[in-house]
Amino acid sequence: MKYDLVVVGGGPAGMAAALRAQKESVSNILLVEREEELGGVLRQCVHFGFGLIYFGEELTGPQYAERFAIKIRQSNIDVFVATSVVQLKPDGVLVLSGEKCGLLEVKAQAVILASGCRERPLGTIPLTGTRPSGIFTAGMAQKMMNLGGYEIGKRFVILGSGDIGLIMARQLKLLNRDVLAVIEKEKQCGGLERNRVHCLEKYHIPLQLRCTVTEIHGKNRITGVTIKNLFNEQEEFLACDTLITSIGLIPERELAEEVYSDGRLPDWLFLCGNACYVHDAVDDVTLEAEETGRLAAQFVVSGKITKRAKHISSRTGNAANSDIICIGCPKACALIKTDNGFAGAVCGRKDPVPSCLCH
Amino acid sequence: MYDFDVIVIGGGILGCFTARNLAKYRLKTAVLEEREDLCTGISRANTAIVYSGCDTKPGTLKSQMCVHAAQSFESLCTELAVRYKQCGSIMVCCGPKGEEILRKKLSQGLANGVRGLRLLDRDEILALEPKLCANVRRGLYAPESGTVIPWELGLAAAENAVRNGVKIMLNTKVTKIKKKKDGYVVYSANTAFSARGVINCAGMYADEILEKVEKPSVRIFPDSGDYIVLDTKAGHYIQHVVFYEPEEREERLTLVPTVEGNILIGSTKNQSDEKDIFKTAGASIEKLKSIISEIVPDLPMKHVIRSFGAIRPNPYYVSFDSESGLYVPMEKAIHSFSIIESKENPAFLSLIGIKTPGLTCANELGCYAADRMASMLGTEVNTEFRPKETAPLRLNDLSLSERANLIQDNSAYGKIVCRCRNISAGEIINSIHRHPGAVTVDGVKRRTGASSGRCQGSFCTQRIMELLAREQNVSVDSVNKDGPGSDIIQNEKF
Repeated sequence: MKYDLVVVGGGPAGMAAALRAQKESVSNILLVEREEELGGVLRQCVHFGFGLIYFGEELTGPQYAERFAIKIRQSNIDVFVATSVVQLKPDGVLVLSGEKCGLLEVKAQAVILASGCRERPLGTIPLTGTRPSGIFTAGMAQKMMNLGGYEIGKRFVILGSGDIGLIMARQLKLLNRDVLAVIEKEKQCGGLERNRVHCLEKYHIPLQLRCTVTEIHGKNRITGVTIKNLFNEQEEFLACDTLITSIGLIPERELAEEVYSDGRLPDWLFLCGNACYVHDAVDDVTLEAEETGRLAAQFVVSGKITKRAKHISSRTGNAANSDIICIGCPKACALIKTDNGFAGAVCGRKDPVPSCLCH
Repeated sequence: MYDFDVIVIGGGILGCFTARNLAKYRLKTAVLEEREDLCTGISRANTAIVYSGCDTKPGTLKSQMCVHAAQSFESLCTELAVRYKQCGSIMVCCGPKGEEILRKKLSQGLANGVRGLRLLDRDEILALEPKLCANVRRGLYAPESGTVIPWELGLAAAENAVRNGVKIMLNTKVTKIKKKKDGYVVYSANTAFSARGVINCAGMYADEILEKVEKPSVRIFPDSGDYIVLDTKAGHYIQHVVFYEPEEREERLTLVPTVEGNILIGSTKNQSDEKDIFKTAGASIEKLKSIISEIVPDLPMKHVIRSFGAIRPNPYYVSFDSESGLYVPMEKAIHSFSIIESKENPAFLSLIGIKTPGLTCANELGCYAADRMASMLGTEVNTEFRPKETAPLRLNDLSLSERANLIQDNSAYGKIVCRCRNISAGEIINSIHRHPGAVTVDGVKRRTGASSGRCQGSFCTQRIMELLAREQNVSVDSVNKDGPGSDIIQNEKF
C-alpha cells in the first residue's frame, strides 16, 4: 500500500498536521492511531482549559479533540484506529499492526511522527522501600478513572507537581477523595501557575515544596510514604493507599530512533507535538503541527525541504533541557556543535532550541 | 485426602525442577505452592546469571554441580525452549587486590574443570568491552557463563512437569505435617495430602517447613540486595556479564546484559530480617551508582527504568538461646548447598538456604533430590517421560511474514498491548491459558514481558487487567498486581 503522507498518532498534533497537509493539496493521506478513537491524551482530559488561543473559547479536552475529529471524518483522509506502527524502515516503509488490518506494510513519501509522550515512571528515581500496588502515574490514573470508570483509591499523595498531577489532585478532591499533599522537590511548582492556583490553592491542597518521597511502605498495596524535607532533612510518615506520580514527561519517538543516523533524521520524516518536545498548551501543539503539516506537504510536492520553519510556540524555553535535535523547527533537525553553541543542521537556525533524541 | 507418592513443598525454581525430575520416575507428584503463582519468591529477583564455576571451592558438590550445569545449560534450555544467552563473563579489576582475587578464581576454575578460562590484559578487555573505564588492569574471561530469565526457566520446568503428570496446587500453604506409617500427611488450611516422601524446596521458609517434623540444625537468615534495570536503549553498552572487583571498597558490582536486552546492575548487600518483603534499602541505589561510575563511567543512567530489592536465604548452623527464645547463628555462614536428609524422618529431604549459584544449579539440585527420593522410595524410571517443551509464541522472534500469517489466523496477535516491548493481546491471552497460567498482572509480566519496558506499565496495565478479567471470566476489580492484597482498582465503577 502506498501513501503520499502517513501521520503516526491521532491526537491533537497528528490530526492538525494531517488536516493542514490535506489543505495544501496532498490528497493521499493515512492517519494511524493506536487507541480505538481519535483524540490522544485529550480524551481523558475531561477538565476545561483547552482552546483559548486557537478557538477563542474554553473547551474540555474531548470537546477540543472532537472539533478536529469531525473534520478528519469529513475529509478523505484514511484513518486506521486500534492500529500500532511497530516498525519504521529507512526507506520510508511503515509496518502497521492491528486486529482489522493485520500486519500491513505501507510505503510513505513523507511521515509525520505525532506519537505524543509518555510519563516518567517512578522506577527512574532511586526510592527506598517496597514496590506494592497502588502507585500510578498521573496520566495512567486519569485514564483509568475517566475512560475506564475505575476507582483507584481513597487517600492520595501526589509526588511531583507537573500539570497532570495538579489536575488529578483537583479531580480527586472534587470526587471527595482525601488528597493529603502534593510533594515537589524543587523550590517552585512544576506545573503552570494557573493550575497551581485553580487546582491546589482553591481546594486547600497543601503543596510541599523542597520535599520528596524517600520511602514506599506496604507489602501488597501501598500503606504510606516517608516524606523528607530537603531543607531541614526532617522526615515524616504519611499514611495513604495510593501514590500518584507526576515527575516528568518524555517524548515518545522511538520510531524516529530506528531511522536516525549520522546525527540526523531522514528528509522524509517530520516530528510534531509532544513527540517533538513536551508542550504546556494544546493550542501551541495545534499551531505547530499545522506548520509541520504544511512543510511535509511541501516536501511531498517538491521532494525538498523548502523553507526553514518559523518557531511558533510561546513557551518552549522550559521544555528544552538536552541536546542532539532542534525542537525549534518541525523538522526536528539534527544539531551541529559550533563555537557558540549549536546550529540546526537542516533548518540552519542559529538559535536552535535543543532536545535530546535519545531520551 | 489427596494421595501422592511425593509432595514437593515450594514452587520456586528449585521446586519446579525437582518436580520435573521426579516426573522422570513412576512417582505421582504434587507441588504445593503457597502463592497464586510459581517463582514468586527468591526466584523472581536475582542476578539472572549462569555461573561457569570459578567461584566455588574445588572438590565440593556445589562446584561439580555448577560446572556441569553451566556446560549443559544450553542443551537444558533448548529442551525446555527457554531463551539462554551464553554471552560469557569477564571479571575485571583495576588494581593488585582485585588481581589477586582474579588469579584465585582462575586457579579455582581450572581445578573445577571450567573450560575456556583466560586472563585478559587491559587492551583485550577493552576490545571486548569498550565502554569499561580505561584503567582496568586485568580480566578473567569465562566463555561458558551466561544469563537466563529465572522465572522463564522455572515456569518452563513446571509446564514440562505438568505435561508429564505432576499436579501443581497453588494457593496451598502448608500448615502442618504429620508422620504416618510409610510416609507423611501434609496439611494446608482446607486440604490434606498424603505422600510417601516429601521434598522441601520452600526457599526462605525451608527451615520452618522442616521444623514441622523436627528441629532443624540449619536456619535461614535473610539479607537483601538491590538492583537497577536500564532500558534496552542502553543494552548495547555491555556485551558480557561483567563482574567488577573494586580495590577500595567492599561491594562488588555485576552488570548483566539480559536476554530481553536490558542491563541489570547489582547488587548491594543490605541487612534484612524479613523473609517475604522485597524492598530496596536506604541510599543503596546511590551506592550502586557510585560504583558504576568507577567502572563504566559513561553508562547512561538516565535510562534507569526500575530499581528493586531481592532477598537471599543465608543458611547458618544455630544454637538456641533459651533466654531470648531465639536461634543464634554460628559465626560462619554455610557455603555448601545444604541438602538435609532427615534420619528420624525417612524420605524427607530438605534443600535449605540454596543461594548463588542456585539458579545455575536448579536442574542439578532438582535432579539430585529426585534421584535420592526415587532410590529411597524404590521406583522405576518413567519411560514415557517427554522432556521437550515448545516456547510460547513471541511475535518479536518471528519474521514479518510469519507474523502476518499468524494475525490472519488470530487477529488478537495484531493488537499491540505493551508498546514498549511490542507484546500483543494474543501473547497475553496465551500466557493466561498456559498451565500454570498467569493470574496477576505481574504473572503476565513474567510470562510475556508486557509492562516491563520503559514506561513500566503505565500504558498497558489497565489493558492487561481487562484481558485477565475477560479470559478468566472475573470482574476487573478482582484482578490484582501481585497476589492477594495487591489490588489495583477498588471496585469496578464509580
